[in-house]
Amino acid sequence: MPLALAALSRGRVAWADGDDVRLWSTLFVSVCVQALPFLVLGVVLSGIIAAFVSPELVQRVVPRRPFLAVPAAGVAGVALPGCECGSVPIAGSLIAAGTPPAAALTFLLAAPAINPVVLAATAVAFPNDPRMVAARLLASFVTAVAVGSWWARRGDSTLLASLRHAGHDGDGAARWARAVDAASRDLVHAGGWLVVGAMAAATIQLLVPRSVLDAVAGNEVLAVAALAVLAVLLSICSEADAFVMVGLPQFSLTSRLVFLVVGPVIDLKLIAMQSGILGRAFTVRFAPLCFAVAVLSAVVVGQVVL
Amino acid sequence: MNRIGRAGVLVTLGISVARLVWSGQFGWFVQQRMRWPLVAAAVALLVLGAVEVTAAARQERRDPASARRAAGPTVGWLLGLPLLVVVAVAPTSLGAAAAARAAGYVPSDPRSGFQPLPDEGPVPLTLFEFLNRAVADDQRSLDGVEVELTGIVVHDPALPAGADFALTRFLVSCCAADAIPLQVAVRGAGAPYPDDTWVRVRAVWRPSATPYTELVRPWWVEADAVSVEIVADPPASPYESPY
Repeated sequence: MPLALAALSRGRVAWADGDDVRLWSTLFVSVCVQALPFLVLGVVLSGIIAAFVSPELVQRVVPRRPFLAVPAAGVAGVALPGCECGSVPIAGSLIAAGTPPAAALTFLLAAPAINPVVLAATAVAFPNDPRMVAARLLASFVTAVAVGSWWARRGDSTLLASLRHAGHDGDGAARWARAVDAASRDLVHAGGWLVVGAMAAATIQLLVPRSVLDAVAGNEVLAVAALAVLAVLLSICSEADAFVMVGLPQFSLTSRLVFLVVGPVIDLKLIAMQSGILGRAFTVRFAPLCFAVAVLSAVVVGQVVL
Repeated sequence: MNRIGRAGVLVTLGISVARLVWSGQFGWFVQQRMRWPLVAAAVALLVLGAVEVTAAARQERRDPASARRAAGPTVGWLLGLPLLVVVAVAPTSLGAAAAARAAGYVPSDPRSGFQPLPDEGPVPLTLFEFLNRAVADDQRSLDGVEVELTGIVVHDPALPAGADFALTRFLVSCCAADAIPLQVAVRGAGAPYPDDTWVRVRAVWRPSATPYTELVRPWWVEADAVSVEIVADPPASPYESPY
């Protein structure tokens, strides 16, 4: 985080010099390297879904009614342990295969936030506040289900109409060829946007002045707002964000919970990847919705649990 | 991006990831436990790329026009950028420049539950463990114990008077972008050491006169050096992990 909270720390201001370029490069490359295995896993799964999962199969497996399908999708998020980069192409191919968008979007939000790896990391990072784990689990689950339910009622289905299905006829070899084609397409697509997000995140990490954060920590409303915005800008993996919050003990537990709940559902690299895979018109509505619901959910859960 | 270009990007990416793992340089960017996920990703990329190269070549023979049609977005070319940056800028592991721009690790409030340390010193400890015991151990297990710490030398203008350098290592849980500097102010180092030198320091914790909780940040955990030794081979992972 320290890196995150760069520029004015300890009273030093540095303009871009050789050190800064090198540091930016290290941050940029490390975000890309860290995300790549999760992205590859995501596109391989999404390719297989695209080629082998038919709308008929989806209709048999996914509950028809949204009020069952949405919480079920939230719980299913536990099955994908990892960071958020892999879940975007998977959500895209699930929708293309005929999954109700509300359920696929709930899965998209739940997978990176509610999984054993992330919860264990949170427990290690907050040894004195075991309730942080429960609060994070609850607030993230509520966020995913609330956004999914809202989308089931009010969502504009035309926004996701561009996700077309590849078709399912053909023998095994033809299907595998289609899986490889879909995985490759998703990889260059999501990967290209991941690089855009990584550049933005590395730049922001070098620019956010720490003194601003110290100034707002005392005021609870400002603290929540600052950490919510910071979560979006820093784009840190959900597995790592809890340790970053340990570095800001001057902030209240609730405001730090906001950071942990907002980050996995929306940040710069997710916005870039979602607008690439799911469409810009969709992301323009979806991202603010996620942000608002996540902040609200974290604040309420924080008041009750922490 | 047409199908041939797309296949090229996949293969190039697969080879670069494999090289990064093979050379060990991946440790500059991510934690060691990412080794096997990265190997798996490189293999998957190379398999995808090989299948795509074959398919693209076949398509080129049968129907050259369709092989040149868009098979991916223009933004996909950006996947080559990290490779370009690695070659052109040659970024290395985080060092003094990164530590200077960052706020150091602050252990949480006092608690019990730390295991007692062995009586025979010097006891090798990570900086993470040392800082936690110094600040948060209500049993004060570090009192008078000689420990052995490994890290890089960083000169920070904010060091307390009398300290020679900040022994520094970064706590990295996923990748270098979430790094938090772990720093101990070392006194009595003897000779001067330049920034970013890897050293092994034998030292004894120097308790603070005022409780840490009552100090104004940024404050330092300090140690009195018994000996400082330059490390010829830096550790495989330049970073510490919180796990």
